[in-house]
Amino acid sequence: MSNLIAIFFGMALVNNMVLAKFLGLCPFFGVSKKLSSAVSMGIAVLLVMLVASAVTWPLYHYLLIPYGAAFMRTVIFILVIASLVQIIEMTIKRTNLTLYNALGIYLPLITTNCAVLGITFINIDQAYSFIESLVAALGAGAGFTLVLIIMSGIRERLELADSPKAFRGTPIAFITAMLLGLSFLAFKGMI
Amino acid sequence: MHTTLTVVLLSLIGFIAGLAIFLASKFLPKEDESLAEAAKIREFLPGADCGACGHPGCFAYAQAVTKDKSVFTRTPCPTLAQDKQGIKRLEEHLGLKAEATIGKKAVVHCTGGSHSIVAYEGLESCKAAVQLASGFNECSFACIGMGDCVTVCPTGAMTIDPERNVASVDWSTCIGCGLCVPACPQHLTELVPADMPQYLACNYLSKRDIPGRKRCPDGCLHCQICVKVSADGEVTWDEKKDLPYFDPTRSIPAPAAIEKCPRHVIKKSPAYEEPTVSPGSDSASEE
Repeated sequence: MSNLIAIFFGMALVNNMVLAKFLGLCPFFGVSKKLSSAVSMGIAVLLVMLVASAVTWPLYHYLLIPYGAAFMRTVIFILVIASLVQIIEMTIKRTNLTLYNALGIYLPLITTNCAVLGITFINIDQAYSFIESLVAALGAGAGFTLVLIIMSGIRERLELADSPKAFRGTPIAFITAMLLGLSFLAFKGMI
Repeated sequence: MHTTLTVVLLSLIGFIAGLAIFLASKFLPKEDESLAEAAKIREFLPGADCGACGHPGCFAYAQAVTKDKSVFTRTPCPTLAQDKQGIKRLEEHLGLKAEATIGKKAVVHCTGGSHSIVAYEGLESCKAAVQLASGFNECSFACIGMGDCVTVCPTGAMTIDPERNVASVDWSTCIGCGLCVPACPQHLTELVPADMPQYLACNYLSKRDIPGRKRCPDGCLHCQICVKVSADGEVTWDEKKDLPYFDPTRSIPAPAAIEKCPRHVIKKSPAYEEPTVSPGSDSASEE
């Protein structure tokens, strides 16, 4: 149990997807302008990470390894995750319109998100068991959401701040990300 | 041999994934046909997602219209209602005629009566000023007057009265888009029906705090006399906010309340019309 807790917080804070592993930077800058869209994006990523981990783990251990095709994992995982997200989006669109309005546009964006692909590889490289990889995905998603929310909160205030003209917009966001990354560096070595 | 196996495996996984998508699209409950219809209606809408109609965006409004056509006849898109040709195009598409073209207008719930107690020399923005102890006015609910609403207003209907340092709305140019509502950090702007005859020019909410009189010469006293003098229920009391409440679905003038208010804080809106001697059966039965 304590092992699972360590994995969760390790993935959420110490090995944070965005600020320590530098994965998923695209939505980190693209969707962090408004708090509300950042929350939707974060939850969508968390959901897809969880489902992707749940599907790719058995696929890798029961199909790719026995048949000696482990070296093809990148291609196969992309294929599986992409079709999976397609199905999820379709299901949400046809069964729950309210949820689709909230998450819908973010789901196709995530199909090609490297953070989602990254977590499935981390699960395998770290030799996590099935339950452990689910917890790791949950932690990674939670960490991603946390960072996205922090970043959007800062950026909403930065809009008002009196920053030099040349730095307005994306440049100041890069500098903010750097400072945020430094502060998350403090978690290094805790777990 | 090993290569062949890998190729077969990869093709198989690809095939299964494709099949799964096919089966999902085949056997999942069919997509609402209304979605396609709503997408068509959206083509006619302004696409500003302003929310003035009361729906969270143009597409949501289109969906509501698809589901129930009378939504359009009762509450036509207020932004489109300004554009005669645009609304005609949508009317032709739906085969309907918009009955009520009563849009919405913005009001500001403040008279700007309270004085500033500190000199503020920060960023010229209401949002920034509010970060410092709810602004610099004696009344912490008052209009900041730095014009965040003026900046967002697309038609220039919002102006800041330089004397009282308070925002005011010109109803002749206000299109009721509602962009000023989220822009105000004090939540003073509100959309009301364009035929609303009066509004309360105070937003002194605090229930446990001392009444408005201590903070502002115009502040609501919470005396509820406006409720007592309105026999038809033109004015009711909003217990949650502890302020008078005007039912937006009725829009009836409340001349007695306007006159009797000791702080004269219930203001006539430009839509106010002196009620004639017998406005209807209501007052007749009363007498």
